[in-house]
Amino acid sequence: MLQVQNIEKYYGSKNNVTKALDRVSFDVEAGEFLAIMGASGSGKTTLLNCISTIDTISAGKILLNGVSVADLSEHELAKFRRERLGFVFQDFNLLDTLTIEENIGLALSLNHQDPGTVQNQVREVAGRLGITDILTKFPYQVSGGQKQRAACARAMVAGQSLLLADEPTGALDSKASKNLLEIMTAMNRDMGATILMVTHDAYSASYAKRVLFLKDGRVFNELLRGERGRPVFYHEILDVLAALGGDVSDVI
Amino acid sequence: MCWQRWGVMSVTLSKLSLRNAKRQAQDYLVYFVTVVMAAALLYSFNALTFSQEINTLAQSMEMLPAMVAMATVVVVCVFGWLVAYATKFMLLRRGRELGTYLLIGLENRQVARLFFLENLAVGGCALALGTVLGGLLYQAFRALTLALFKQPYRFSFGFSLPALGLTAVCFGLIYLFALGRSRKYIRKAKIHHLIYFDRLNEGVVIQTRKKRRWIFGASILLGVVGTGLLMVRDLAIATAGAGCLILFLFGFFLSFASGVPAFFDKRPARKYRGVTLLVFRTLTAKLATMGVLMATISMIFTATILSEGSGLVFQGLFEGRAAENACFDLYLGVGDGRDPTVYTDYIEENIPVERSLEYQVYLSGGHTVRDYIESQTVYYYFNFVQEPVLRWSDYAALRSIAGYRAVELPEGQYLFHCMTYLEDALKSYDRPLTFGDITLQPGGVYTEHLSQSGGTVNGRGYILVVPDEAVEGLEVHHWAYVAKTAQPVTRAQFYDLWDINERTSSGIASNAITTRANEEAEVATQTALCVFPLFYLALSLTMTAATILTIQQLSESERYKRQFSLLQKLGMNRREMAKALRTQFAIYYALPAVPPVLIGAPFILHLASLPEPGVMVGMSSPLSIVTISLGIFFLIYAIYILLAYTSLKRNVLPQ
Repeated sequence: MLQVQNIEKYYGSKNNVTKALDRVSFDVEAGEFLAIMGASGSGKTTLLNCISTIDTISAGKILLNGVSVADLSEHELAKFRRERLGFVFQDFNLLDTLTIEENIGLALSLNHQDPGTVQNQVREVAGRLGITDILTKFPYQVSGGQKQRAACARAMVAGQSLLLADEPTGALDSKASKNLLEIMTAMNRDMGATILMVTHDAYSASYAKRVLFLKDGRVFNELLRGERGRPVFYHEILDVLAALGGDVSDVI
Repeated sequence: MCWQRWGVMSVTLSKLSLRNAKRQAQDYLVYFVTVVMAAALLYSFNALTFSQEINTLAQSMEMLPAMVAMATVVVVCVFGWLVAYATKFMLLRRGRELGTYLLIGLENRQVARLFFLENLAVGGCALALGTVLGGLLYQAFRALTLALFKQPYRFSFGFSLPALGLTAVCFGLIYLFALGRSRKYIRKAKIHHLIYFDRLNEGVVIQTRKKRRWIFGASILLGVVGTGLLMVRDLAIATAGAGCLILFLFGFFLSFASGVPAFFDKRPARKYRGVTLLVFRTLTAKLATMGVLMATISMIFTATILSEGSGLVFQGLFEGRAAENACFDLYLGVGDGRDPTVYTDYIEENIPVERSLEYQVYLSGGHTVRDYIESQTVYYYFNFVQEPVLRWSDYAALRSIAGYRAVELPEGQYLFHCMTYLEDALKSYDRPLTFGDITLQPGGVYTEHLSQSGGTVNGRGYILVVPDEAVEGLEVHHWAYVAKTAQPVTRAQFYDLWDINERTSSGIASNAITTRANEEAEVATQTALCVFPLFYLALSLTMTAATILTIQQLSESERYKRQFSLLQKLGMNRREMAKALRTQFAIYYALPAVPPVLIGAPFILHLASLPEPGVMVGMSSPLSIVTISLGIFFLIYAIYILLAYTSLKRNVLPQ
């Protein structure tokens, strides 16, 4: 579904170039749940921004369903983002002037869906994610976990094929984090959602089927969960992080 | 040691103040420009009142300082409110920064002093710039006033020290009031409150939805009733109407924000159409917390439109009345069979005349035309019991003296000369008229000004023009005299003629004395006395209200920026974002302007239709006055909207 081919990303001027991504390549299959891990400054958010077309790459190619995102015009990019991509951010990024229902419905509204069906579609997704009770509330009236579930609902309500999550549990307590990760797992398992999650938290990454480790802008390692249980996979992730050379506490 | 420390600290504080003042000027450029304009307006009008040249243009112009002073009191209050509002607004927006100063060890009084100094610096700059600009503006007003009085204008830039002093006093009052309040606030402020102010939810005045809906309905009713009462010709009832309108505006804006979500909640399909959701939610979130402010702004706009409309109605009234009477250099109408030679003797001795005409206005003996006019028009004010009649030869001479083109009177016909408002009615009059044994057919209608507004003039609104032989045997209504003079009749000559009038008659009702020069001077004086202060007021009010709206809108830049950044990530393209911003902008700025237009337009229409017919015509017709009043208002308003929109679009839409 997603092919990242030798992408590079440079920042800065001629005399002071910072290489944020260095020949990064990987594929994501449809229905996969992939986590990208790395310490602060390893390039994981830059990678996510490039995939989500918010940022541009300096070299290489990103293909989504065979379409190179670099070849798309501004108008096509906007269309691409609203039709194919769903976003979940660390700080929720819900609009505080809209109710939860309206925040979710916004994705459909932007997609020019029939306005008459929006409310029903929102209610259906909200039912699956267990947030029907809070639909009429404003973001400041609900908990962090509920906000993040609303963000998940917004990310998938319009039938987006790829859900990009940037540190989705970063602002949540452990209980809310666990709840959200279970929901994301269910979305992946039951609804066939393809998820690409950037995180520095080994516990969150252990919910994924595959983990890519970034260090200094390069893919350092790759770990597949296979048939192993989540706790085992979690410890394996910790081992890799230790091998990354940094202090394990940096990434836990 | 202690002095040294204080010295170092005050230098640091001064630097900090200067830097903050500069930054503040950038953040609130629109506000700064308005304050500069306020200083310019205050200075220019003060300079007008202190100008000997202006105040001696006409006797009544001595009233100008008093009229402008009254307007200035209101203007100082209005600008005082603006500065106080904007200062408090900026203070709260900078709460975190000021709180941090307290946190690092500055005392409340030092922070208050810092804030005071930087605002004083901004105010001082505005005053200095405004005075220079005001000097130029004064030249424009001076040129306009001299042109009104048909006096030559010569550019001479200079400063009036008394005007400068008065402007400084006004500005001092405005700033001391605003800064005094802020100083008091900071001196009592707690660190926690300042730092976390931006996290506080803004207060909503009316909490329950049901109550808001009830108030919304009642306010609409009050608005309709109030507008109706405002037009009743009774001061007590009109005042009650104004009270209803104030209640309407506050009720409407305090309850409006609740009505819109309720409307969309019932119609989800409409809510999710296009950019509606974003626009309505952004607006209602803002309006829910600024209902009182919106109502105040709407009230200011109403006062603005009414001031502009009234100013234009007065100007139209003065000009309309004067135009009818200013068609001859000198006109005398002497009724009740009095001896006109006392006037003509004076004129012969004192006023050089190029051409003159003595004539009589006759009565036809019937009133069929008048009856017809009364049946055709809504209003006809008459002094003549019978039809007023002029001899053709007198009429032709009158036209010639007035400088109008020559016309023909075909044999066996009569003409009408009337004010424009009777033209259509008289054109449709097709009946013959009989004078003795002469029967005449209608021959045409002419409508140039011919001194037709009064008792002893050329008819009231209309006069019949008949062949000379037809007036034989008709009763004389009054004697009249017109002259084309070599020089305009002076003010002294005009007053001499009135003195003769008062000496020789028991009253002035039966006689008419008008001169072109006096009529024009009257128009100029009345315009300067009534229209200038009203427009001064209107301009100040519009600027104040538009600035507050703009400050409110621009202060949300950061929130809008975050919102549009998210929307971009969600796939909204720039064109749609611009459309959402534009729509939201249009509604935000239209909302406080709609009630004033709905109140102002019928009121001005009504006010402009009150003067006698024939006066408010052409550019001064009621409809034209409404259009011009609204045009001027929206022109000034549009400048602010455009400034705010371009600034916001540049700052908040992703590139």
